[in-house]
Amino acid sequence: MSDRLTLEQRPAAALKWVSTPDRRKVVFAWLAVLVLFVVGGLVKSGFASGHSISTILVVASFTGYVATGQMFVILIGGIDLSIPWVLNAGAILLVTSSLGHDSSAAQAVLLTLGLGLVVGLVNGLGVGYLGISAVVMTLAMNGIMQGAALGLTNGLTCSRCTASTPPVVHKAVLGAPLGIPNDLLLWLGVTALVTFVLSATVFGRRVYALGNNEQASFLAGVNVKVVTVVLYMLSGLFAALAGITLTAYGGQPTLGLGDPYLLQSVAAVVIGGVSILGGRGLFLGAVAGAIILTTLVTLLQALNMPDYGRDIVYGAVILAILLLYGRERDLG
Amino acid sequence: MAADIGGSAIEAIGLRKTYGHVLAVEKGDFCANFGEIHALVGENGAGKSTLIKILCGVTQPDSGEIRIRGEGLTLSDPQHARALGVGTVFQELTVMPWMTVAENLLVNDPPRGRSGLIARRKLPARAAEILATYGMPRIDPRALAAHLSVADRQLVEIVRALQRKPDILFLDEPTAALSENEVDWLFEKVKALREAGTCVIFTSHRWREVESLADRITVFRNGANVGTRTSLSEDEAVQLMTGRAIDRAFPKPPPLQETKPVMRVRELAGEGLHGVSFDLRPGEILGVGGLAGHGQRELFLSLFGAQKSTAGSIEVEGRRRRIRRPLDAIRAGLGIALVPEDRKAEGLLLAMSVRDNLTLATLPSLSQLGVIRWRAERRRMNQTISQLAIKSSAPSVEPVGALSGGNQQKVLIGRWLMTDAKVLLLYDVTRGVDVATKQEIYELVISQARAGKAVLIFSSETEEVARLTHRVLVMREGRVNAELTGTEISAEGIVAAAIQNQDGRSQRTSSEGNEVPA
Amino acid sequence: MSTQMSGAVEKQTWRSPRRHFVAQNSPVLLSVVILVVALTAYYFLYYRQLGALPDSFDLTTIVDNALPLVFVGLGQTVVVVTRGLDLSVGGVLSISVALAATQMGHGVGIVGWSLAILLIGALAGLANGVLVAYARLAPILVTLATLSIFDGLAIMLLPKPGGRIPTVLTNVLTNPNRPYGLVFLILALLIWFVLRRSSYGVALFATGNDETAATANGINVRRTKLWAYAISGVCAAAGGLFFAARTTSGDAGAGTPFVLTSITAVFLGGASLFGGRASAYGTTCGAVVLTLIVNVLFFAHVNQLYQSLYEGLLLVIAVVLGLVVGRLARRQA
Repeated sequence: MSDRLTLEQRPAAALKWVSTPDRRKVVFAWLAVLVLFVVGGLVKSGFASGHSISTILVVASFTGYVATGQMFVILIGGIDLSIPWVLNAGAILLVTSSLGHDSSAAQAVLLTLGLGLVVGLVNGLGVGYLGISAVVMTLAMNGIMQGAALGLTNGLTCSRCTASTPPVVHKAVLGAPLGIPNDLLLWLGVTALVTFVLSATVFGRRVYALGNNEQASFLAGVNVKVVTVVLYMLSGLFAALAGITLTAYGGQPTLGLGDPYLLQSVAAVVIGGVSILGGRGLFLGAVAGAIILTTLVTLLQALNMPDYGRDIVYGAVILAILLLYGRERDLG
Repeated sequence: MAADIGGSAIEAIGLRKTYGHVLAVEKGDFCANFGEIHALVGENGAGKSTLIKILCGVTQPDSGEIRIRGEGLTLSDPQHARALGVGTVFQELTVMPWMTVAENLLVNDPPRGRSGLIARRKLPARAAEILATYGMPRIDPRALAAHLSVADRQLVEIVRALQRKPDILFLDEPTAALSENEVDWLFEKVKALREAGTCVIFTSHRWREVESLADRITVFRNGANVGTRTSLSEDEAVQLMTGRAIDRAFPKPPPLQETKPVMRVRELAGEGLHGVSFDLRPGEILGVGGLAGHGQRELFLSLFGAQKSTAGSIEVEGRRRRIRRPLDAIRAGLGIALVPEDRKAEGLLLAMSVRDNLTLATLPSLSQLGVIRWRAERRRMNQTISQLAIKSSAPSVEPVGALSGGNQQKVLIGRWLMTDAKVLLLYDVTRGVDVATKQEIYELVISQARAGKAVLIFSSETEEVARLTHRVLVMREGRVNAELTGTEISAEGIVAAAIQNQDGRSQRTSSEGNEVPA
Repeated sequence: MSTQMSGAVEKQTWRSPRRHFVAQNSPVLLSVVILVVALTAYYFLYYRQLGALPDSFDLTTIVDNALPLVFVGLGQTVVVVTRGLDLSVGGVLSISVALAATQMGHGVGIVGWSLAILLIGALAGLANGVLVAYARLAPILVTLATLSIFDGLAIMLLPKPGGRIPTVLTNVLTNPNRPYGLVFLILALLIWFVLRRSSYGVALFATGNDETAATANGINVRRTKLWAYAISGVCAAAGGLFFAARTTSGDAGAGTPFVLTSITAVFLGGASLFGGRASAYGTTCGAVVLTLIVNVLFFAHVNQLYQSLYEGLLLVIAVVLGLVVGRLARRQA
């Protein structure tokens, strides 16, 4: 209490900005990013070089996209467990619908993003209108997408499944006409846009309101169901976007491509200081969370940690952050 | 019974309990004896419920001493308290909804078979026995508690506490949901317990009950005992509870102009609501009275589109409106400040700033193409804050949860003043706020009426409904049981109109929906 | 003023015990109906394909195949009663399969390792329980994180599918020529029967109904939740043993499908999303239905790869049906 008052009395703008716990968490997250790169640079030469950082950030952007979608639904106290197979199905749809041809690349990209939107729509309808719990609805959807993707491609053995990402998509994602990969510019744009939407628009305000208190928001005229549906659609959209960029990066989709991204999306959001109960947290935190996760794992791989270690580290990091932030009591 | 009549049963010495930075009980001193009925009175938030929770082991105090039968001890949990003969009927019901009446009654002491396993088949018969013993054979032991009326759930709660045969019994607001017959039934039981030497401690907001039942009265104010008396008049009690002689002079509602109604409601029906009609004119303050749980809340929710109505019509300014969700009501020019049983549950976004809370319903008019106009928002916010004298150090960032209860309430009302609503629906807006803020809210209601707003107001304090209004609708079983105007309006008149039945026969509500919509 | 008791003057308006039973158990009864439908479909398709009815070998095989899910589902049911979810059952099952495949032949022998595996399951569950009940973290996030950790540990134990499951384990737990499977199925139901009639069972259901009310009635909510997760851990480990018994070698990814299927089985079995209402009898029906689906899909010539699609659809349908039945029951009451 007194702490905040003294801070507010000071004129320094920077200090004033960190006057809320949500903002402090974002600052901590970005400090952690800095520390990780410094430590990385010290233990492994070249880790903090421009090229290395750029590569790490590109890999982090995939987590960043899924974390964006995940954050939208976590902000209203929901969760999207369907991300892995929406991503995976999106990746498969991209190559099977374009067959690697540049001429049909644009359609394929739109089709893939459309798939994400439709799946998100169904999730949102289930959660918002039918009253199914988010966990159950999106878990079921994950199964449905998995079954559909496996069944329709016969376990990714169909003739179309051997196609690769259209070169134009690959170039659009990983080309660097401005010196840094387009993908990073896209991520930067997404970050700016989402931050703007969440902090300066009516929609953003309503998202936070809904996450804080659904009944109060409903009584204040917030269309709870519509907002819920839109957020799940955005989550589907970003999962599909991650599917596209990830396939552009890897060349071809694989089965299980999306599996690590469920945990990563949740972890990034939680590390970024977003309350898992909804209604609190800033998008910049989730961005930092995505970078932290990727940098940490890259560093551990550089130090010869086996693959399974990644799973264990992710799990442990989530628990540690939850224990740290979960302690903060809600007001009232 | 081990009790020696007149001996000290339970004592609290200097108890202290804080929740976060909110002080619930500061200097909790209290003493009740065996063989007496002891009333514990005080305003909402005075610390009565917290004291009771501490004394029956649900909450642990930060400091202070508890003595039971003169012996100092620490109560680790409710089980411990029960073993010492302490029984409790809680204010918030502790009946488990998806268990049957029988399972609820016997949750701590179910009948067991020879194998030591619980004999689930024997539960209903055993429970029926208990219910019959306590004069409640009407209640079906096999029914799920969730399907009972609020009153019946309360009765199950009471019977469960009674059948444990406590030496010390706490009753926290046991009568709020009960009909008159049931209150009589309870009082008979309580008196019998006193004769048997039990120590009964109860709280009630109805002074009549306190007066007719209590041997001694302890008054709590701001978390501290401010006096224990054997007799106390209502005025003295109010003085003790509030800390000063409050002038019970409510501001007078302004004279009513003969105008066309701004709102006409016809035969509105839905869950718990069976056809309510009324007109509401600009500048009019219309009160809604009646016993708790007779459709008042449903009326407010239905008018605002927060509960589905199955029949009836609502006209606002001569235009028929279909109000199916709050957004429709807001567009029709309605504003609702709904303070639920628990203010925090439905009104405010506690972790969000004062600004966010105030402007939530007004955002569309404060934005352009969906982008919030910061300056306009700030200007309107500052206007409302000064109009209502809301005290906040930094309204754009300070979370509403950090404000005092009175200021929180003002924010909730301020949200709807900002929308320029023509009709204000105020549901129990003075609940749980201090006397000074109450006075401010009264003035505000009157000034809104003077400015031509129509006000529909419900309060759990019948006195407020009686003193602030032009007209009162008294509800019973989801209908308007009586309409009082002019000199007919008084707290006593409202209560009398609430219990009289049209057929003149006493009857009770069946298990019809008193459930809060999710 | 009359002081006559209100209860005494009014007639009793009880409903018959049977109507109460049907109304209060409608979700479980619904799962029995679904089981009957699935069995009928199975018999019909089997007959159409093979011109004969399934014999005892087929039925024993179905029970044996269902057993891992029955046990995992039993544990999941206990957690769902407390309004929680345990996603880590998949990881626990994987660990127990990995241990069975790599360790069982050595050291303390099969019985010793079986007990050790159950104990490890209990410890894993206790870890979840501590984090949920005492650190008060959201069950879904805790178990999502521990799922990842347990999966990682399983891969560490068994990096590649392989190892060897002792045949003794198969012969004891899931012998297709002897109805041992049925015995274990009955054992699972018996465990639930006893649990439901123990003090812990009362505490479990009270906790799931309303934690504040349970506390006020002297129930230790935290301890109850802690043990709920421990039970889930043991059950998942037991499920792993039954799973391992049906195979000759192990796979550290064995548990992954059980996350979805165990939750599906619980909700097919009529559990409420809002806690306090669930039954292992229903879950068992759900588990058998999910096992039958594999056979039904096979006889209906549907590609097995679609399996999780049908499971997902069933989960949604089950939950929607549950909500509808709940709403109807409320209207009836």
